[in-house]
Amino acid sequence: MRNLLGNWGELMETRKKFWRCNVCNDIHYGLKPPKQCPTCGALDAFVICDTNEAMKVMEGEKTSIATQEELIDVWKEWVSRNDKIKLWEELESVKLLATGEIENDRNKGLKYCPCRSLTGEREKDLKLICPCNFYKQKTWKEYGECWCGLFVKR
Amino acid sequence: MTDAEKRLIWFYGKECPHCRALHPTVEQWMADTGKQIVKLEVWHDDQNAKLMRTYGSAIAEACGGDLGVPAFYNEKTGKAICGSRVNAEKLTKWAEG
Repeated sequence: MRNLLGNWGELMETRKKFWRCNVCNDIHYGLKPPKQCPTCGALDAFVICDTNEAMKVMEGEKTSIATQEELIDVWKEWVSRNDKIKLWEELESVKLLATGEIENDRNKGLKYCPCRSLTGEREKDLKLICPCNFYKQKTWKEYGECWCGLFVKR
Repeated sequence: MTDAEKRLIWFYGKECPHCRALHPTVEQWMADTGKQIVKLEVWHDDQNAKLMRTYGSAIAEACGGDLGVPAFYNEKTGKAICGSRVNAEKLTKWAEG
Protein backbone atom coordinates (compact mmCIF):
# COMPACT_ATOMS: atom_id res chain seq x y z
CA MET A 1 0.00 0.00 0.00
CA ARG A 2 2.73 2.42 0.99
CA ASN A 3 4.55 1.94 -2.31
CA LEU A 4 1.37 2.46 -4.29
CA LEU A 5 0.39 5.61 -2.43
CA GLY A 6 3.79 7.27 -1.99
CA ASN A 7 3.81 9.86 0.80
CA TRP A 8 0.19 9.08 1.60
CA GLY A 9 1.15 5.57 2.56
CA GLU A 10 1.66 6.01 6.28
CA LEU A 11 -1.45 8.12 6.66
CA MET A 12 -3.51 5.60 4.74
CA GLU A 13 -2.30 2.73 6.89
CA THR A 14 -3.09 4.36 10.21
CA ARG A 15 -6.30 6.25 9.48
CA LYS A 16 -9.71 4.78 8.88
CA LYS A 17 -11.10 5.42 5.44
CA PHE A 18 -14.10 4.64 3.28
CA TRP A 19 -14.19 1.59 1.05
CA ARG A 20 -16.80 0.95 -1.64
CA CYS A 21 -17.81 -2.46 -2.98
CA ASN A 22 -17.46 -2.23 -6.73
CA VAL A 23 -20.29 -4.73 -7.21
CA CYS A 24 -23.13 -3.43 -5.01
CA ASN A 25 -21.81 -0.08 -3.66
CA ASP A 26 -21.76 -1.24 -0.03
CA ILE A 27 -19.79 1.28 2.01
CA HIS A 28 -17.34 0.21 4.70
CA TYR A 29 -15.44 2.54 7.03
CA GLY A 30 -12.27 1.14 8.57
CA LEU A 31 -8.55 0.59 8.32
CA LYS A 32 -8.96 -2.45 6.08
CA PRO A 33 -11.61 -3.64 3.64
CA PRO A 34 -13.74 -6.71 4.36
CA LYS A 35 -12.49 -9.73 2.41
CA GLN A 36 -16.07 -10.55 1.44
CA CYS A 37 -18.85 -8.05 0.91
CA PRO A 38 -21.47 -8.71 3.64
CA THR A 39 -24.26 -7.60 1.32
CA CYS A 40 -23.56 -9.19 -2.07
CA GLY A 41 -20.89 -11.74 -1.14
CA ALA A 42 -18.33 -10.51 -3.70
CA LEU A 43 -14.71 -11.28 -2.84
CA ASP A 44 -11.98 -8.60 -2.75
CA ALA A 45 -14.41 -6.06 -4.07
CA PHE A 46 -13.73 -3.09 -1.80
CA VAL A 47 -11.90 -0.09 -3.23
CA ILE A 48 -10.85 3.01 -1.29
CA CYS A 49 -13.11 5.94 -2.00
CA ASP A 50 -13.13 9.50 -0.71
CA THR A 51 -15.61 10.88 1.82
CA ASN A 52 -17.54 12.73 -0.88
CA GLU A 53 -18.09 9.56 -2.89
CA ALA A 54 -19.11 7.58 0.17
CA MET A 55 -21.59 10.25 1.26
CA LYS A 56 -23.07 10.50 -2.25
CA VAL A 57 -23.60 6.75 -2.35
CA MET A 58 -25.24 6.77 1.07
CA GLU A 59 -27.39 9.85 0.42
CA GLY A 60 -29.89 7.79 -1.52
CA GLU A 61 -30.36 5.49 1.47
CA LYS A 62 -30.86 8.17 4.07
CA THR A 63 -32.16 6.74 7.32
CA SER A 64 -33.15 8.47 10.48
CA ILE A 65 -33.48 7.28 14.06
CA ALA A 66 -35.27 10.27 15.42
CA THR A 67 -37.78 9.07 17.97
CA GLN A 68 -37.61 7.36 21.33
CA GLU A 69 -39.45 4.33 19.90
CA GLU A 70 -37.14 3.99 16.90
CA LEU A 71 -34.06 4.17 19.07
CA ILE A 72 -35.35 1.56 21.52
CA ASP A 73 -36.11 -0.70 18.55
CA VAL A 74 -32.48 -0.31 17.42
CA TRP A 75 -31.24 -1.35 20.86
CA LYS A 76 -33.63 -4.31 20.95
CA GLU A 77 -32.44 -5.44 17.55
CA TRP A 78 -28.81 -5.22 18.67
CA VAL A 79 -29.21 -7.16 21.91
CA SER A 80 -31.25 -9.82 20.09
CA ARG A 81 -28.08 -10.65 18.14
CA ASN A 82 -25.80 -10.59 21.17
CA ASP A 83 -25.87 -13.40 23.70
CA LYS A 84 -23.89 -11.43 26.31
CA ILE A 85 -26.19 -8.47 26.85
CA LYS A 86 -29.79 -7.46 27.37
CA LEU A 87 -31.60 -4.20 27.91
CA TRP A 88 -32.25 -2.81 31.39
CA GLU A 89 -35.54 -4.20 32.61
CA GLU A 90 -36.79 -0.84 33.93
CA LEU A 91 -38.63 0.39 30.87
CA GLU A 92 -39.11 3.93 32.19
CA SER A 93 -35.33 4.31 32.58
CA VAL A 94 -34.76 2.94 29.08
CA LYS A 95 -37.26 5.46 27.72
CA LEU A 96 -35.59 8.29 29.62
CA LEU A 97 -32.19 7.36 28.19
CA ALA A 98 -33.64 7.20 24.69
CA THR A 99 -35.18 10.64 25.16
CA GLY A 100 -31.82 11.96 26.34
CA GLU A 101 -30.00 10.57 23.34
CA ILE A 102 -32.52 12.03 20.92
CA GLU A 103 -32.12 15.37 22.71
CA ASN A 104 -28.33 15.10 22.55
CA ASP A 105 -28.55 14.27 18.85
CA ARG A 106 -30.66 17.37 18.29
CA ASN A 107 -28.58 19.69 20.48
CA LYS A 108 -25.06 18.26 20.20
CA GLY A 109 -25.12 16.46 16.87
CA LEU A 110 -24.79 12.83 17.94
CA LYS A 111 -26.53 10.34 20.20
CA TYR A 112 -24.23 10.77 23.15
CA CYS A 113 -24.85 8.89 26.40
CA PRO A 114 -26.92 11.15 28.71
CA CYS A 115 -24.92 9.85 31.68
CA ARG A 116 -21.65 11.14 30.32
CA SER A 117 -20.43 14.65 29.61
CA LEU A 118 -18.62 15.99 26.57
CA THR A 119 -14.92 16.72 26.91
CA GLY A 120 -14.63 19.00 23.88
CA GLU A 121 -12.04 16.66 22.34
CA ARG A 122 -13.38 15.01 19.20
CA GLU A 123 -11.69 11.63 19.58
CA LYS A 124 -12.76 11.28 23.20
CA ASP A 125 -16.29 12.47 22.57
CA LEU A 126 -16.81 10.03 19.70
CA LYS A 127 -16.36 7.30 22.29
CA LEU A 128 -19.41 8.58 24.14
CA ILE A 129 -21.84 7.72 21.34
CA CYS A 130 -24.27 5.10 22.61
CA PRO A 131 -23.80 2.17 22.59
CA CYS A 132 -20.25 2.86 23.69
CA ASN A 133 -17.55 0.25 24.24
CA PHE A 134 -18.84 -0.53 27.71
CA TYR A 135 -17.11 -3.89 28.06
CA LYS A 136 -13.99 -2.06 29.21
CA GLN A 137 -15.82 -0.07 31.88
CA LYS A 138 -15.39 -0.71 35.57
CA THR A 139 -19.17 -0.88 36.07
CA TRP A 140 -19.35 -3.68 33.49
CA LYS A 141 -16.56 -5.63 35.13
CA GLU A 142 -17.84 -5.14 38.70
CA TYR A 143 -21.61 -5.02 38.32
CA GLY A 144 -22.32 -6.32 34.83
CA GLU A 145 -23.81 -3.11 33.53
CA CYS A 146 -22.73 -0.24 31.35
CA TRP A 147 -22.15 3.18 32.94
CA CYS A 148 -25.74 4.33 32.45
CA GLY A 149 -27.24 0.89 33.12
CA LEU A 150 -28.90 0.60 29.71
CA PHE A 151 -27.09 -2.61 28.80
CA VAL A 152 -26.67 -5.37 31.36
CA LYS A 153 -25.15 -8.82 31.36
CA ARG A 154 -27.51 -11.67 30.50
CA MET B 1 -12.24 32.08 45.40
CA THR B 2 -12.39 32.28 49.21
CA ASP B 3 -13.12 29.22 51.33
CA ALA B 4 -16.58 30.58 52.04
CA GLU B 5 -17.31 30.74 48.31
CA LYS B 6 -16.26 27.17 47.66
CA ARG B 7 -19.22 24.93 47.02
CA LEU B 8 -20.37 21.36 47.07
CA ILE B 9 -21.50 20.72 43.51
CA TRP B 10 -23.61 18.01 41.96
CA PHE B 11 -23.24 17.72 38.20
CA TYR B 12 -26.21 15.83 36.78
CA GLY B 13 -27.94 15.06 33.50
CA LYS B 14 -31.63 15.78 33.01
CA GLU B 15 -32.14 12.48 31.19
CA CYS B 16 -29.78 10.37 33.31
CA PRO B 17 -31.87 7.79 35.21
CA HIS B 18 -29.31 7.39 38.01
CA CYS B 19 -29.32 11.15 38.55
CA ARG B 20 -33.11 11.17 38.68
CA ALA B 21 -33.10 8.32 41.19
CA LEU B 22 -30.58 10.16 43.38
CA HIS B 23 -32.59 13.36 43.75
CA PRO B 24 -34.57 12.24 46.85
CA THR B 25 -31.35 10.98 48.52
CA VAL B 26 -29.61 14.30 47.95
CA GLU B 27 -32.61 16.31 49.12
CA GLN B 28 -32.86 14.21 52.27
CA TRP B 29 -29.13 14.48 52.89
CA MET B 30 -29.30 18.27 52.66
CA ALA B 31 -32.26 18.36 55.03
CA ASP B 32 -30.50 16.08 57.50
CA THR B 33 -27.14 17.84 57.47
CA GLY B 34 -28.14 21.43 56.80
CA LYS B 35 -25.49 21.57 54.08
CA GLN B 36 -26.18 22.82 50.57
CA ILE B 37 -25.27 21.06 47.34
CA VAL B 38 -25.51 23.18 44.20
CA LYS B 39 -27.14 21.21 41.36
CA LEU B 40 -25.79 21.88 37.89
CA GLU B 41 -27.24 20.23 34.76
CA VAL B 42 -24.59 19.50 32.12
CA TRP B 43 -26.41 18.55 28.88
CA HIS B 44 -28.70 21.53 28.57
CA ASP B 45 -26.43 24.19 30.02
CA ASP B 46 -23.07 24.76 28.35
CA GLN B 47 -21.72 26.87 31.21
CA ASN B 48 -22.28 24.02 33.63
CA ALA B 49 -20.65 21.56 31.24
CA LYS B 50 -17.69 23.92 30.90
CA LEU B 51 -17.33 24.16 34.67
CA MET B 52 -17.47 20.39 34.93
CA ARG B 53 -14.60 20.14 32.44
CA THR B 54 -12.48 22.48 34.55
CA TYR B 55 -12.74 19.89 37.34
CA GLY B 56 -12.43 17.17 34.73
CA SER B 57 -9.40 15.24 35.93
CA ALA B 58 -10.72 14.63 39.47
CA ILE B 59 -14.21 13.79 38.19
CA ALA B 60 -12.99 11.50 35.41
CA GLU B 61 -10.81 9.62 37.86
CA ALA B 62 -13.75 9.16 40.23
CA CYS B 63 -15.92 7.99 37.33
CA GLY B 64 -13.46 5.32 36.22
CA GLY B 65 -11.68 7.25 33.47
CA ASP B 66 -14.26 9.38 31.65
CA LEU B 67 -16.48 12.26 32.65
CA GLY B 68 -19.84 11.00 33.84
CA VAL B 69 -22.90 11.88 35.83
CA PRO B 70 -24.03 11.81 38.57
CA ALA B 71 -20.79 13.45 39.75
CA PHE B 72 -20.19 15.34 42.97
CA TYR B 73 -17.31 17.78 43.28
CA ASN B 74 -16.10 19.43 46.47
CA GLU B 75 -14.48 22.79 45.63
CA LYS B 76 -12.81 22.97 49.03
CA THR B 77 -11.02 19.64 48.91
CA GLY B 78 -10.93 18.98 45.15
CA LYS B 79 -12.42 15.56 45.79
CA ALA B 80 -15.02 13.95 43.56
CA ILE B 81 -17.36 10.99 43.81
CA CYS B 82 -19.29 9.62 40.94
CA GLY B 83 -21.78 7.03 39.73
CA SER B 84 -25.05 5.33 40.51
CA ARG B 85 -23.90 3.92 43.84
CA VAL B 86 -23.48 7.24 45.61
CA ASN B 87 -25.49 7.23 48.84
CA ALA B 88 -25.92 9.41 51.95
CA GLU B 89 -22.94 7.86 53.70
CA LYS B 90 -20.66 8.52 50.73
CA LEU B 91 -22.00 12.08 50.44
CA THR B 92 -21.12 12.77 54.06
CA LYS B 93 -17.60 11.43 53.68
CA TRP B 94 -17.12 13.43 50.48
CA ALA B 95 -18.53 16.66 51.93
CA GLU B 96 -16.38 16.45 55.02
CA GLY B 97 -13.26 15.87 52.98
